Amino acid sequence: MIRFENVTKMYDPNIVGLEDVNIHIDRGEFCFLVGHSGSGKSTFIRLLLKELEPNEGTITVAGRNLQRMRHSALPYHRRNLGCVFQDFKLLPNKSVADNVAYALRVTGQPARAIRRKVPEILNLVGLGDKMNNLPDELSAGEQQRVSVARAFVNHPSLLVADEPTGNLDPDTSVGIMQLLYRINRTGTTVLMATHDREMVDKMRKRVIALEDGKVIRDEDKGLYR
Amino acid sequence: MNFKFFFNEAVNSLIRNWVMSMAAIVTVLVSMLVLGMGMIMYFNFEHAISDLRNKLEVEVFIKNTASPDQINGLGDEIRAMSEVKEVNFVSKEEALNRLRESLKGHEDVLDALSGNPLPPSYEITLKDPNQINEVATRFFDNPIVDNTPGTHDGVKTGGETSDRVLKVTTYFLIVAVAFVALFTVASVLLISNTTRLSIFARRREVEIMRLVGATNWFIRWPFIMEGVFTGMVGAAAAAILVMFINRFFIVEGVLNKLPFLPLNSEAVPMFWLVLLLIIGGTLVGSVGSGLALRRFLKI
Repeated sequence: MIRFENVTKMYDPNIVGLEDVNIHIDRGEFCFLVGHSGSGKSTFIRLLLKELEPNEGTITVAGRNLQRMRHSALPYHRRNLGCVFQDFKLLPNKSVADNVAYALRVTGQPARAIRRKVPEILNLVGLGDKMNNLPDELSAGEQQRVSVARAFVNHPSLLVADEPTGNLDPDTSVGIMQLLYRINRTGTTVLMATHDREMVDKMRKRVIALEDGKVIRDEDKGLYR
Repeated sequence: MNFKFFFNEAVNSLIRNWVMSMAAIVTVLVSMLVLGMGMIMYFNFEHAISDLRNKLEVEVFIKNTASPDQINGLGDEIRAMSEVKEVNFVSKEEALNRLRESLKGHEDVLDALSGNPLPPSYEITLKDPNQINEVATRFFDNPIVDNTPGTHDGVKTGGETSDRVLKVTTYFLIVAVAFVALFTVASVLLISNTTRLSIFARRREVEIMRLVGATNWFIRWPFIMEGVFTGMVGAAAAAILVMFINRFFIVEGVLNKLPFLPLNSEAVPMFWLVLLLIIGGTLVGSVGSGLALRRFLKI
């Protein structure tokens, strides 16, 4: 699903983003990406989204080589890749339903399909009764659920979450984790960058640890440590 | 397509930034108003000038010493010219009568005259007013024409007047074009700035749109529509104002009260003028937002 081969990303001649990273994540895996701030987690995710270009190496996502991908194909790449962020990144002027619908609209789905799918996914994340609220009117945990709903509504083959529980209290975090776990069970590959030691230790999934841009550990059923 | 969606996005954004939107709309309105009024003036002047030129005549004054045979000979000569449409002989008596007519109420000044000093003349109307000078020169050296020695003041054309009107109109047109250009540039810049602010206000939104896989055009369309609406609304308001002003101030206020002016309410092709304004405004709007998108929307 995701293949990093000898990937190096330098921001400046002496500021390392990632250094010679080799990682292979299979379809359907649930995988944690851990490490301190500045260890390269965000660089990793931004490379996946093709927001950044590596200086060296090749990145393949769902069989497509990102370095050979044309700029015009980029939106289609991102549609196949759901994203959840620490700061939710919801559109503040749009209702919950419209936020989720936006991800469907950009793919050119007909209005009828949108009207059907949006309530469906919002019920799935437990927000069926808050469809017409604005994001500001929701709690942080609820906003993150909206963000997960938006990421998943297109049923992407890969869901990437950048510290999705970073702004949430432990109980709410558990809810989000359960949601991601359920999404993973449908066959979607989930990659989650996190600081949340407790969560990682509880889940016992694959853990990839980064430090100073290098992979220092990659183990199945791993712990945060 | 997603027309309805883009439309709603654009309208919502316009309403959200209504102060800026109004400013841009008013600038478009002013520039299109200047363009519209300029065009109306131009059409009216144009009409007046062509009217004037069609009435242009060559007047040939004849020496008092010329014999009736010489006068009739000149008349035949003029009638034989292919450029001539009409010839009218004005005798000394008729000339005096005309003068008396034009002095109505002050006829007594004529009493000071001893006899009739006015010369007889021929008034020549041409088929094509542009040939007026060419025809006029033919009489310059005619011995019976009443020239002061060394000049050609026995031959008069209305050309000087129409040339002067034409010159004034040209100046007027240049000033109008300059104003229109100025206001158009101002509108483009203002719309461009409005779009820029709109992009800036929504840069987070744009980032999110990109992340969920919106294509560049999907992101651009609402912004472009915003500019186009601004232009269209401004231009439509200007068109309504121009029609109103033309109807109530120019046609009713000036033409109908001063019927002797060689102006005409039919002189302005209103439909085309309105179309021109609306197309102009729309163009200004799309160019303005397009400029801002190129410079500020990095996708």
